[in-house]
Amino acid sequence: MEEALWFKGIQAKAAALAPTLKRPVFDKIDSRDWDLELGARDQTDPELAIPPEFAHQQLLQVGSLTRSWNLREDLRAQGVIVCDWAEALEKHGDLLQKYFGQAVPIDENRLTAEHAASINNGILVYVPKNVAVKEPITVAYLQDASKKQDFVEHVLLIADVNSSVSYMESLATIGAEANTASIVVEVIARAGSQVKYAGIDRLGQKTTAYIKRVAKISQDAKVDWALGMLSDGKILGDFDSNLIGTGSKADMNIIAITIGDQIQGLNTVVNNYGRKSVGHILQHGVILQRSSLIFDGIGHVMKGAKGADAQQENRVLMLSRAARGDANPILLIDDNDVFAGHAASVGRVDEQQLYYLMSRGIPKKTAERLVIRGFLGPVLTRVPSADVRQRLFAMVERKLIDGQDME
Amino acid sequence: MSELVIKGLHVSIAGKEILQGVNLKLKTGEIHAIMGPNGTGKSTLSESIMGNPAYTVTQGSVTLDGKNLLDMTVDERARAGLFLAMQYPAEIPGITNAEFIHGAINARRPEDDALPMRDFLKELYENMQFLDMKLEMSQRYLNHGFSGGEKKRNEILQMMMIKPKFAVLDEIDSGLDIDALKVVSRGINKMRGKDFGALMITHYQRLLDYVVPDVVHVMMGGRVVAEGGPELAKRLETEGYSKLRDELGLKIELTDEDV
Repeated sequence: MEEALWFKGIQAKAAALAPTLKRPVFDKIDSRDWDLELGARDQTDPELAIPPEFAHQQLLQVGSLTRSWNLREDLRAQGVIVCDWAEALEKHGDLLQKYFGQAVPIDENRLTAEHAASINNGILVYVPKNVAVKEPITVAYLQDASKKQDFVEHVLLIADVNSSVSYMESLATIGAEANTASIVVEVIARAGSQVKYAGIDRLGQKTTAYIKRVAKISQDAKVDWALGMLSDGKILGDFDSNLIGTGSKADMNIIAITIGDQIQGLNTVVNNYGRKSVGHILQHGVILQRSSLIFDGIGHVMKGAKGADAQQENRVLMLSRAARGDANPILLIDDNDVFAGHAASVGRVDEQQLYYLMSRGIPKKTAERLVIRGFLGPVLTRVPSADVRQRLFAMVERKLIDGQDME
Repeated sequence: MSELVIKGLHVSIAGKEILQGVNLKLKTGEIHAIMGPNGTGKSTLSESIMGNPAYTVTQGSVTLDGKNLLDMTVDERARAGLFLAMQYPAEIPGITNAEFIHGAINARRPEDDALPMRDFLKELYENMQFLDMKLEMSQRYLNHGFSGGEKKRNEILQMMMIKPKFAVLDEIDSGLDIDALKVVSRGINKMRGKDFGALMITHYQRLLDYVVPDVVHVMMGGRVVAEGGPELAKRLETEGYSKLRDELGLKIELTDEDV
């Protein structure tokens, strides 16, 4: 592909840079011996059977292959672009050249550089100026773990000036081979745009993944995140909202569940650069069995961000004595004229609540799930779309049942 | 007819023995009252029958139609036909009252035979109206932000919907004004019949004016020390617990004696 020469150049540069960079730091998680190195040859099976629940996505990618995709005609007529990485390189090089790496610089850390060097599929979503996409764009990225191979997926979502779009992504794994996944999502929310981004991750037990999702948010633009971190493997998640413009807003609502002996570390960051920018983090996590979940919430208000608002709430609930969890709120304030606040808690499930529910005949596991649902309720109710709320709820329930069945 | 039998029940909490050999027999069709001064083990009795993990049974048995409840988990006891209206019902955000009660009923039915939502709501609303409850309370989170009186009504509502064989009502009258007491009593009286038995735990005679018991037991010092008809409750109301204690020659200190 002639058009992609510039991109090959970037990839070569990233590959050269990677060894000189450090891995990102996750508080209280020792990931030194995690297999996050990329390099296992891609050999996606084009015939791999797809679970029926993923059949009705607008775009379905399995490993490095795009299996199906149907963009509605009305969107196409409005100039909306939804395409896979190969087509983006071929037909929309101008957009990629302009925006690729804007939210996640390739040299941010070793893992972002390795990612850029090894991208094997991805998606470009572009919503032109003043266009409102009413129906959500739904996509699924399935990792092919039927063989030993990396899964390196890049998402670039651009909401141009005064546009609005709702995007819902599912990540999952087919197969049980131990593999590495590297997912980077860049959201570019240009002035006055509205982006609703929902991501529900359920990568497999043998998957070790670095997942980075970053939004760059311009003046009066707003990004709503709803993330279900429901993967079963070893996960490092790095989620940032960079509030660049005056009056920009980000709402980061995150639910995480860990089961078995998995480890999940999540850094959720809001950087307020713009005046009167507003960033809220709300993350609740549930920890079963011997698993670990560490939440760091970081609110950083930069000098000059007058009137900025940075709020966060991080809570974890542990269901067993062997569970390990932490919720650390960190506020860094470099300007005087700001509103900032945080709340955090690490607690165990309330025995009296369980007793009460069971005294009405409800079995213990169901009672536990009801108490957990109550704990996660404040995050679920903040998710603006009813569809996403329902799907997130169903996936939470499913993961909890899978977790309880391991006992 | 069903039978709930408590034999020689000893119960400790945090290493301290509270019940020191309680014997009671209850049949469906009967309503019993347990009266007694503060700190005498009445709530311990109800919580240990239900299986609250904070209480340890050290001796004795509790059987329902011959089956030992003490071998069962809390939810199994409930499904065997036991219900406890709690003194301090837990608040659980995130699950609505209606969802919860529907779930509790369905936990007693085969998985493929859930009670249809329409039938459930019809019955729920009828019972709520009977208990002077606002229908919107069915959509509020379980006991979340309910007043003391609302929680008590909600306990009775659950009992009416679940229809247990035996209900233990632990101070269902505490914190209620006369109007609410009448409403709660109306609920209990509606349940009264050959398939339902109740054990009402109370300090005061007042509840027993509205729900007249067949048998009154008096507990002191972790034991049942006297038994009689409704007239026994009336006598306690006029004479107090200390007179009965002295008549029986018991050496028990009443918690609130000096107050």
